[in-house]
Amino acid sequence: MNSLLDRRFLFVTGKGGVGKTTVTAALALKLASQGKRVLCAACNAKERFSTLFHVAPVGSEVVPLAPNIWGVNMEPSVAMAEYGMMILKSRTLYHAVFENRYVRSFFRATPGLYEWAMLGKAWWHTTEQAPDGSNRFDIVLLDAPATGHGLDMLRVPKVIVDIVPPGILRRDADRAWAMFQDSKQSGVVVVTLPEDMPVNETIELLGSLEGELKLPVERIIVNSMLPPLFSQEERNELIKPLDLDHGDPGHAAVAAGARRSHRERVQAQSLARLGDLRVPRIYLPHLFEGAESLDALRELSRRL
Amino acid sequence: MALSLEKLLDSRRVILVVGSGGVGKTTTTAALGLAAAARGKRVLCLTIDPARRLANSLGLKAMTTEAQTVDPQRFRDAGLPVRGTLTVMMLDTKSTFDELVHRYASSPQARDRILHNRLYQYVSTSLAGTHEYMAMEKLHAVKTDGAFDLILLDTPPTANALDFLDAPQRLVDALDSAAMRWFIEAFQESGKLSFNILAKSAAVVLKGIGKLTGGDFLEQVAQFVTELNDLFGGFKERAQEVARTLRAPDVAYVLVTSPSPMAIQEVLFFSERLEEQGMPRDAFVVNRLHQASALQAGADAAREALRSLPLSLDDDAAERLVSALDDERRQAQLDRLRLRRLDEALARSSSPPLRVDVPALPYDVHDVRTLAEVARVLAP
Repeated sequence: MNSLLDRRFLFVTGKGGVGKTTVTAALALKLASQGKRVLCAACNAKERFSTLFHVAPVGSEVVPLAPNIWGVNMEPSVAMAEYGMMILKSRTLYHAVFENRYVRSFFRATPGLYEWAMLGKAWWHTTEQAPDGSNRFDIVLLDAPATGHGLDMLRVPKVIVDIVPPGILRRDADRAWAMFQDSKQSGVVVVTLPEDMPVNETIELLGSLEGELKLPVERIIVNSMLPPLFSQEERNELIKPLDLDHGDPGHAAVAAGARRSHRERVQAQSLARLGDLRVPRIYLPHLFEGAESLDALRELSRRL
Repeated sequence: MALSLEKLLDSRRVILVVGSGGVGKTTTTAALGLAAAARGKRVLCLTIDPARRLANSLGLKAMTTEAQTVDPQRFRDAGLPVRGTLTVMMLDTKSTFDELVHRYASSPQARDRILHNRLYQYVSTSLAGTHEYMAMEKLHAVKTDGAFDLILLDTPPTANALDFLDAPQRLVDALDSAAMRWFIEAFQESGKLSFNILAKSAAVVLKGIGKLTGGDFLEQVAQFVTELNDLFGGFKERAQEVARTLRAPDVAYVLVTSPSPMAIQEVLFFSERLEEQGMPRDAFVVNRLHQASALQAGADAAREALRSLPLSLDDDAAERLVSALDDERRQAQLDRLRLRRLDEALARSSSPPLRVDVPALPYDVHDVRTLAEVARVLAP
């Protein structure tokens, strides 16, 4: 976990439904508790940071979520406009281009443009300075889209670097891409569950990140780990077909034990497959009371 | 009046299975496909990414985009009476895009210029957004195929669950836009980007974009857009047809969620948008609903059971069996609490859609037999 303290940018992704937002929020709490100023950036999602931190809904303005933690929900057309304004430096020209409805529909249909608007904005926040010249944020956590779309998003700066000739767009993509590739500054955090399909996706995702994109993977975070109740031998026993009396409470407990054994077995197999990967792992417990409360988040952040 | 899922399977031509990532859309699609095939339908399932073990167990090759029909022997081996057929086709963005280019290019030369354009290579293979366009395109292409009675689409996981609904319209808007025409005008005259022939306002806009991207890139884009323009007539008409397909009365929408708060939030958002657009929400499927025995057991009852059953467990196993039962109860309570939001929203609806709950299985749905278990819940 200590190595994370020096990072400037983390890209949090994983299969849909594995708890990326919860993990992002727990990471933010952890880093903030160590004195870091953290920005949590959501990608035009029905963001949940506000629910998790009990604050008003987060929009496209940066707002405080908790001590030393800020949040923003990046809206691509707003991000594009901010970018345009920064570069064109003229309100008239900006209006002519970005407020033109034809241009807008053209932008909306250009594949990858909105993804870059969001990823580029998240990266830009790492370069943003406070009035005293220090970094406004020590680290930006991007709560990125799920695996496939997350990869698509990461490909965009690479495509720009590959095909766009030198210019402002290319310059920014070059700088962002250099940061993303530098394992001292940045990394991808892959969230997964100890289940079959999320683990398959994690293995494939790692292949694309390390093989195709050559991006450093910082951690695999295995979320929602069941505390094992049974040994491997006991699981094998309990999984055997049994003639159970469904009206008997004791038998109901045995049936529950059998179902739990199935789950624990899937979990053990999944962990073994993750064990073959050379990326450091962190395990977070399954919370039977849900992970929606601030207390639950604190509990998770302590485990990080 | 809510239809049951069997009635949807019997009465519709197309079923779109919709929901956020990780809620079990692919499994639901496959299980509905199996249920329809069991009812004698010739079913086509379109899917982005079939679960590998399930695909293996159905005897499907993972790495092909050809339509593959499941060998009926697989169903017989699992003891399932299946009168119809189940065909699976994997969506492939690039080849679908290529087919469109082949279909609408005005000449072989124009076709090749597009297929070999450098920007096309990126747009058609690796950029976000094209997956949704092409999934809808493929759906439209197979809808008219008389070889199938029912087409099920496992919608691609979108960053926003509605992206795919808007995808055809986005394309039409862009193709129709003045910005596109300016590009083409500025480029076509000389084969170079030239702003002097444009209206002043258009020139200002293009120069503004050029500041961002650099002039050379703008020229590449102009060239690409000009080449794509060759397809526009056909393309635009096609996108409009696809948009109509999504709104046709023989299309059903099945919304899938899990009890997770985020999935419920997403599915309700999607449901509202469908309602706003006057589109049907035919059914909700709640996957992975944890259930618990109504019985409570103490360690004594568990010990008693262990004495009567042929199990050899460690001495303290009774307490742990009780913990397993308690954990299930806590999880079931949490799921019920989380689903209240969905219940309330559906209760407010003037025409409440059907809702089917699929219990959480303690293992993955990975073969014909477990798939049939889910199919029986969805359409008994």
